[in-house]
Amino acid sequence: MVIHPVLLIAIPLITAFIIPIFKKYGAAIAGGAIAFNMGYAIGIFFHVYSNGKIYETIAGFNPPIGIFLAIDSLSALLALIINLFAFINFVAIGKEANYKFSMLYLLAIAGSTGIVITGDIFNMFVFFEITAVASYALIAGKKDKKALEGAIKYMVLGSIASSFILIGIALIYSQLKTLNIYDIAARIASMDAKIKWASFAMLLTGIGVEAEIFPLNGWVPSAYQGASEGVASLLSFAPSKAAIYAIARLMLVIFPFHATYEIALWVGVITLLIGELAAFMQEDVKRMLAYSSIGQMGMILIAFSLASQDLKYALIASLFLIVSHAASKSSLFLLSKSEKMHGMASKYTGIVSVLSLIGMPPLAGFWGKWYLMLAAMDEKLWLVIILIFFAGIVETAYFARYLHRSIGNDGELSLRYKAAMAAMASFAILFGLLPLVYKIASLPLWGG
Amino acid sequence: MNFAALTLPCYITVAALLSIGLYGVISKSNLMKIFISLSIMETGVNLLLITIGYIPGGTAPIENANFAKYVDPLPQALVLTAIVIGLSVTALAIAVLISYYQKNGTLEYKEGMKW
Repeated sequence: MVIHPVLLIAIPLITAFIIPIFKKYGAAIAGGAIAFNMGYAIGIFFHVYSNGKIYETIAGFNPPIGIFLAIDSLSALLALIINLFAFINFVAIGKEANYKFSMLYLLAIAGSTGIVITGDIFNMFVFFEITAVASYALIAGKKDKKALEGAIKYMVLGSIASSFILIGIALIYSQLKTLNIYDIAARIASMDAKIKWASFAMLLTGIGVEAEIFPLNGWVPSAYQGASEGVASLLSFAPSKAAIYAIARLMLVIFPFHATYEIALWVGVITLLIGELAAFMQEDVKRMLAYSSIGQMGMILIAFSLASQDLKYALIASLFLIVSHAASKSSLFLLSKSEKMHGMASKYTGIVSVLSLIGMPPLAGFWGKWYLMLAAMDEKLWLVIILIFFAGIVETAYFARYLHRSIGNDGELSLRYKAAMAAMASFAILFGLLPLVYKIASLPLWGG
Repeated sequence: MNFAALTLPCYITVAALLSIGLYGVISKSNLMKIFISLSIMETGVNLLLITIGYIPGGTAPIENANFAKYVDPLPQALVLTAIVIGLSVTALAIAVLISYYQKNGTLEYKEGMKW
């Protein structure tokens, strides 16, 4: 069977623009498209896992002139996570979705998937913009004051970010006359040093806004607080994960220098500390979860920055952290719809997600932190280890308070909601128990 | 006409547009003015892309037997894409600002709006 990864982007895009014709069945059509995407992403993942990387050229022009898609095992896993959780999330919120919401949801999924599988840096910019525009509209869709405030903040920062990304791309193009990521990577050494570092700074700043990195994350708490539960859940697993993966690609493929790892490491550490401390001080549940997300993104960035030096543990750590964060945070955001946890499904979701986030064995979050520690010990970064432990303590404190306050017996959620939450949380257990990811990480991940 | 001398004023204009845009975003409190500043910034970036693709004395990249020297067509394609993206973001921003105005009766962002 011939695999066409481009369908992962094309199907949701086409469907999104078909939906306005069949307004009444919008949510059902969108559900079908997302289900197809999920199935296809699973298929591609296992294909890549057993047969190695896939390249697809678009419109018959060969790289480096034509645009092409490059799928290694890491981007296949990211595409799988995005589409899988998109489907489960849509099961929960699909009943309330009108056709406009379904359209924007599909666009956000298409954009995020595009970011992780594209091999062209300008294409990546376009997908960033598709995702960002869809997310602005999704956040603003709730139309109350908080939602509009969050959307406006995100829009202002997102627009500055897109200008910065474009300047970075322009600087690279001015020197190398190419936009292909692997072509840039092969010739990066011939770039003028000043322009090289200027473009790295621009790209990191621009993508860092989407990846929720300190100090570029002013929009995060307001946007998550203002958005409806389903959208907050979407934001926590699709655009942010795609953006952090884009930073990893930037750092490990395009600019593989010692200085970039150092910068990313310390930016990650600061993001982790600020995020966790700010989360500790929040009263609002969604704001707390948003700040906690910032902390987790910092930890994922630390893992990716160590991945260059220490391929044995750090990459596995980042994979486990990404899975754990996607599973636990999106289920907790869905859970935040009701103030209290009630019934088996809600309690199960809340407790499993929290335990995975604070890193209890044998859940996915534990393996993430465990391998991260091992990687940091290999590099003898004792200060980083102490700070990660400290952040873990803060995290445990506020999540314990969260559980203490919210376990109760009032309020009611629909069955679909409960099923989706519980399913998401189960992935934390599943990935904790399966040593699957370990094998994936041992495949060759990078390169042309 | 000295075409080579054209690029330096272009780069200066790029720097000026970017600085004006960033300054506007940071210093203004009216949301509409902030989005106008963002558009100015986008224009600066587009001009940067065009300037990078410029070759002194080159003509438009359309095949013609009378001219042998063309400017680089790729940045122009990129700018077209960037203009469309900028337009859609601006349109969405104005739609959101209209709802914001209907809810709050003002386009100034409130003091309660924490950054």
